[in-house]
Amino acid sequence: MNFWVSSCQRIYRGLARAFPYEFRMICGDGLERLGEDMVPRVWQQWGIVGIVRLLADIALCLPYEYLSTWIAKLTEDTVIEDLLEGTWKGNKEKSKWDPKYTPEEAYLRFEATDTGYILFAYGIKDGQAVAERPRPIFPDGKRRPVVDLNGRPIPGVPPGAMAYGSRPDPYTIEGWVEADGKVLGGGTYKISEDGNTLTVTSEGMGMKGPFKVVAVLTESSVIPTHPLLKGRIKRDHLLTLDSRYIAGRLEPCFYNKFDGRMAVYEIRDPGEGEAAEAEQS
Amino acid sequence: MPRKKPEAFLPLKSHWFHILLSLLEGEQHGYGIMLEVLERSGGKVRLWPATLYGSLKRLIKEGLIAESGERPAPELDDARRRYYKLTALGQRVLDLETDRLKQLVRILQAKRKQEAQS
Repeated sequence: MNFWVSSCQRIYRGLARAFPYEFRMICGDGLERLGEDMVPRVWQQWGIVGIVRLLADIALCLPYEYLSTWIAKLTEDTVIEDLLEGTWKGNKEKSKWDPKYTPEEAYLRFEATDTGYILFAYGIKDGQAVAERPRPIFPDGKRRPVVDLNGRPIPGVPPGAMAYGSRPDPYTIEGWVEADGKVLGGGTYKISEDGNTLTVTSEGMGMKGPFKVVAVLTESSVIPTHPLLKGRIKRDHLLTLDSRYIAGRLEPCFYNKFDGRMAVYEIRDPGEGEAAEAEQS
Repeated sequence: MPRKKPEAFLPLKSHWFHILLSLLEGEQHGYGIMLEVLERSGGKVRLWPATLYGSLKRLIKEGLIAESGERPAPELDDARRRYYKLTALGQRVLDLETDRLKQLVRILQAKRKQEAQS
């Protein structure tokens, strides 16, 4: 190997090792090894021009990678954590439930989307797992038709009903539904300044008539304590109770997200006390 | 942080497209990707090491590719090499970009045909 090649390999190695730690964590020593392997080949094929091109590539990418790493760090430091995202558990003592809609346990889960949130409301009522249909909240002021997550009409919602929402301040979002210019219902979701408490004021027309609820919830990573799930769900798994169409009917079920997979537990027959794992995807 | 929609990656950067295309048939290491791109493009597209690994890093961060946990047997390949594979999102983005390019070619062909007729 001639002096030129070994010198270029040394320079290349030095530059490759100077890349940011974050870069080397992801790419390992692949950059270093690939370049070293290429130097003799490039020298044979293109001579000095190829070597200059190879070194120019790494020398130009080095400051770019540092800049990109610093920008990523700066962005991470300045992005405000979404206060609403996560699971909130109802506080029975502090909440004022409507007598017709008083659950034993209540949970709200907000999942952030590109345009707002998806709200999952679920809990235990009369000893049964219950869940509302998951619904989107768009706090951007735009009016959208009230449909389910699959774009289908929701039974009981008048045709032409439109949903809209706003975020008056970073701690509050509002969501309302109106039809023919008349507000049918909606709610305000307000987070306390310490970020630990969510107060939901909700009113409107439900299946059992008009209702008004003031629910106080605290941030929770605790999974619902439904007896059907005893011993079946690991506590560190992220569990949401949801509803899905089973044989044409909307039935509650539990979604259990872990390791990037999602297991769905249908509650097939509450009387048998069994939550069956239906499918995994 | 919600992940980007596949459409948000379009139009796909040329280097990214070539890398995703190389991973379409299976897992591949950095050097393998470089050689395949070079061969496929008839020597016209050369991904130099820093450009290649910079792109791989960004593709991993965006969730379009992932490092494969599996390694070949040491007698078959250098066990220290990192292998990369296409994710479902990467596959979707590649499909969308392919459709976009096909559409562009269709438009171009239609224009040429129109010009030839007139």
